[in-house]
Amino acid sequence: MIEVRNVTKTYGKKHNAFRALDNANFTIPDGASVAILGKSGSGKSTLMHAMSGLDRPEVGKIIINGKDILTFKTKEIDAFRSSEMSFIFQSFFVQANESCYDNVSLPLEIANVPASKRRARIEAALEAVELLDKKKSRARDLSGGQKQRLAVARAIVNEPKVLFADEPTGNLDSTTGAVIEDLLFSYNKTRGVTLIIVTHDPDLANKCDMQINIKDGKIESIRTKEGAKS
Amino acid sequence: MKIRDTVRRAGRSLRQAKARTLLTSLAISVGAFTVTLALAAGAGGQAYTDSLIKSNGDARHLSVFPKVDEGKSEAPKEYGAQSVATKQGVLTENDLNKLKKIDGIAEIDPAYNVTAAYMTRGEGSKKYEAPLTIKADRTAMPLAAGSLPDNQVPRGGVVISEGYLSVLGFKDAQAAIGKIVTIHIEKPSRLVGAKATESEDRTLTIAAVDKKSATVLRYQTGLTLSAADGKAIYEYQTADLPTSDEYYAINVRVADGSDITVVQKAIEGAGYTVFSLQDIQETLFQFISIVQWGAAGFGFLAILASVFGIINTQYISVLERTQQIGLMKALGARRKDVGRLFRYEAAWVGFLGGAIGTFLAVTTSLFNPAITQGLNLEKGTELLQFSPITSVILIVSLMLVAVLAGYFPARKAAKLDPIEALRTE
Repeated sequence: MIEVRNVTKTYGKKHNAFRALDNANFTIPDGASVAILGKSGSGKSTLMHAMSGLDRPEVGKIIINGKDILTFKTKEIDAFRSSEMSFIFQSFFVQANESCYDNVSLPLEIANVPASKRRARIEAALEAVELLDKKKSRARDLSGGQKQRLAVARAIVNEPKVLFADEPTGNLDSTTGAVIEDLLFSYNKTRGVTLIIVTHDPDLANKCDMQINIKDGKIESIRTKEGAKS
Repeated sequence: MKIRDTVRRAGRSLRQAKARTLLTSLAISVGAFTVTLALAAGAGGQAYTDSLIKSNGDARHLSVFPKVDEGKSEAPKEYGAQSVATKQGVLTENDLNKLKKIDGIAEIDPAYNVTAAYMTRGEGSKKYEAPLTIKADRTAMPLAAGSLPDNQVPRGGVVISEGYLSVLGFKDAQAAIGKIVTIHIEKPSRLVGAKATESEDRTLTIAAVDKKSATVLRYQTGLTLSAADGKAIYEYQTADLPTSDEYYAINVRVADGSDITVVQKAIEGAGYTVFSLQDIQETLFQFISIVQWGAAGFGFLAILASVFGIINTQYISVLERTQQIGLMKALGARRKDVGRLFRYEAAWVGFLGGAIGTFLAVTTSLFNPAITQGLNLEKGTELLQFSPITSVILIVSLMLVAVLAGYFPARKAAKLDPIEALRTE
């Protein structure tokens, strides 16, 4: 369970101050799929950064599994992210010069997984996104859709509890985008992973169990789909 | 992140920027090359000097001379009753006896200055000029034939130069061994400029034939005699002269168990000037060291210059890979991991530069024969001597230097804000 309590994040100082997040409050149940919906500049990315510990709001609490991650030291947050969270980005951020295998290996290396246990997990992750045959290809030789699938493999290889996706289909055409969406939602359903999608696409948001609408740093509305876990 | 994984990732990043990596390491390799070459030349120079000195002198041999006024008093002394007519520094029997009391001296002999009028193989043969040398030390002589036990000329024996062989009618050096030659010694008159009043012939057996060698610094065609024969000739030649017990120098041989520097200090303390081979060796080694480190200094300057190259390259690398750094941090990499990745990259560059420079320097040892020929050195001399340990130390130090140079770029990478780094727009 992720609880966001009275979170406020301000950029700049004094008369230049800008509230990117203004007293945000909500709770996400474990295993839910959540869309954070808003226009660009609405504060949706800031919210994601705050929830993942990349950014530190000056006010409020972010309680994940009973622990307020804002009280963690940098080292602890890094370790927490490494073991519990993963990210998918709009621009993929795959390492173009590295092989698919090495791209997927990175989170495991960061998490200090012993070399002997990596291979099976990397291959399983590549298999899940149907890229096992490309494991030795360099990431730069992949198409856009394949790159994002590679990013998904990289995100699921360390078996996270929370998966953040920042505009995961923003750079893809609708067909390849649909493939990525299917991958994410099926992973969310089968593995019970909390999926948090940051998007400005209402269609994508409608597919999620929960929608958090954000505008000018303020949470406007929270909608929960009928029949979804709450 | 495990160190092994970081090293592998650092290596891969460098391979992806091959041209830049190579150019940066080439800059370092110039320094590494210069330093390695300077050290190799120094080591070779010392080895060569060592062999040069061994064949020109005897390490346990000291030459004692009268104390030289070191020029402290420039004004002449006033003449008085105590004054003795200034005599050009000479040593006498008194000095000899004084020195004999010093511990650690095995042999002590005055340096005999003797001359022969001529040498010949016998009655009726042609006569030849014969400069005489008395062998007081135990320097190894390069020999064409024969042998000298303990590097000493046996009493009644003589070493002749190769140049005498043909004029004396020997077909080769070996043919001369054991043959007899005669030297004619004149006894100078007491009156300066007058003709010699007496003379005698001495017969000597050829013990060995010596030859000129590239490592022998001064070589004179002539005859070399034993100290005992030298003494006999000297006593004969100076019997009537007032200078009969005056010597320009005294030869001292330090006993095998004694420390040569201690003995040298003791003799100097007694008021003499001492020249030892060690002094010469030290002076030469010092000179070589100065040249060596001077040359190495240029190498260090080149390395210093290349340090800025590393810093620059690493900064560019950090800028280029902002997204990678951001991603790693988002995935939970610690600052330490990111910093280490860039420091290891720098270390790789240092290693490459060191390895390339050392390799190029070592290949120059192929020119050793050409250098030896060009400088007219003793055959087989290797003026460039490389030691693997020095190379390893140099490469490791270059890696450290590179890591230090990579410190600031690595810190920049470690401090990078992942949110900024991952901003797409």
